[in-house]
Amino acid sequence: MVRKKLGRLSVFIDMTPMVDVSMLLLTFFMLTTQFRPAAEAEIVLPTSNSAIKLPESDVMTITISKDNRIFIGVDSQRLRGELFGTGNALSGGVHVENMEQLATLLMQARTLNPKLRTVIKGDQGAPYGPVQDVMDVLQRVRITRFNLVTDLEKS
Amino acid sequence: MAGGDMGAPRQARHGNKPHKARRRLNVRIDMTPMVDVVMLLITFFMLTTVFNTPQTMEINMPSEEGATVEVAESNLLTLRVSHGDKIFWNIGVEPPRGLEFDQLRPLLLREIAANPKLITLVKVDRTSSYKSMVDVMDELNLASISRFSLAPFKDFDRELVDAAAAP
Repeated sequence: MVRKKLGRLSVFIDMTPMVDVSMLLLTFFMLTTQFRPAAEAEIVLPTSNSAIKLPESDVMTITISKDNRIFIGVDSQRLRGELFGTGNALSGGVHVENMEQLATLLMQARTLNPKLRTVIKGDQGAPYGPVQDVMDVLQRVRITRFNLVTDLEKS
Repeated sequence: MAGGDMGAPRQARHGNKPHKARRRLNVRIDMTPMVDVVMLLITFFMLTTVFNTPQTMEINMPSEEGATVEVAESNLLTLRVSHGDKIFWNIGVEPPRGLEFDQLRPLLLREIAANPKLITLVKVDRTSSYKSMVDVMDELNLASISRFSLAPFKDFDRELVDAAAAP
């Protein structure tokens, strides 16, 4: 029995559609990604049942760490540069020494971008004292509406 | 439009210089390395993207002037969170009583049902943890008490709470 010689099957797969899709995904992720600035302190958030989402942009974060240090940061890199000096444009937040400095920075930030929303991000183990001080400062500079960042409680 | 523009010079060139039919070059490029790199980048961006925005609790504070509200003492429910995150409650001028955290919501619901005009005042000790304050506020929200006051925890609050904890 003589078999006819079969033509070699080509195993070359056309990858163009896959590359198209991959490139699309890549573009999407590259454009939507927001690099999380280097965390200035490890924060374990307290939990709550509140379901209000944190706004995505124009956020000013006041971080209160477990060891009572207070940091202030904003999400836009440009504003960070204007507020804290260009050297700090890439860092997540700057350490605030005292409440006067915090009040000054808050007012400057509000002047530069009036749409800024203020959020307080406190560690769940932090004492209430500094939080109270920060809230007093917020009230003094007339930021009467702010949010507390929490994690969703797992029930 | 663009096709017509691009076609014109090409036509002219072909007309000027007729050449021999060349063997078609194989223009197939091996895309595997490119796909590798692209996939690597996709993985990187997928992993670094932050999709879950955290939850928040919104607080509206009165501006400083005109913040005093006159409340009858019988309509005032005071919640005190003392050092060590213990919760004490009282209505009006009663001495504070200790309370477990899981009893807080039933208590709030009961008291609100008994007296809908009740105003809640929350006093948190500076040395108690931030978590306890968030927990108490969360319970207030869950008991649909959306208006409450935050007041500083003074020395006489500490005395009251100590007296309540002593016996």
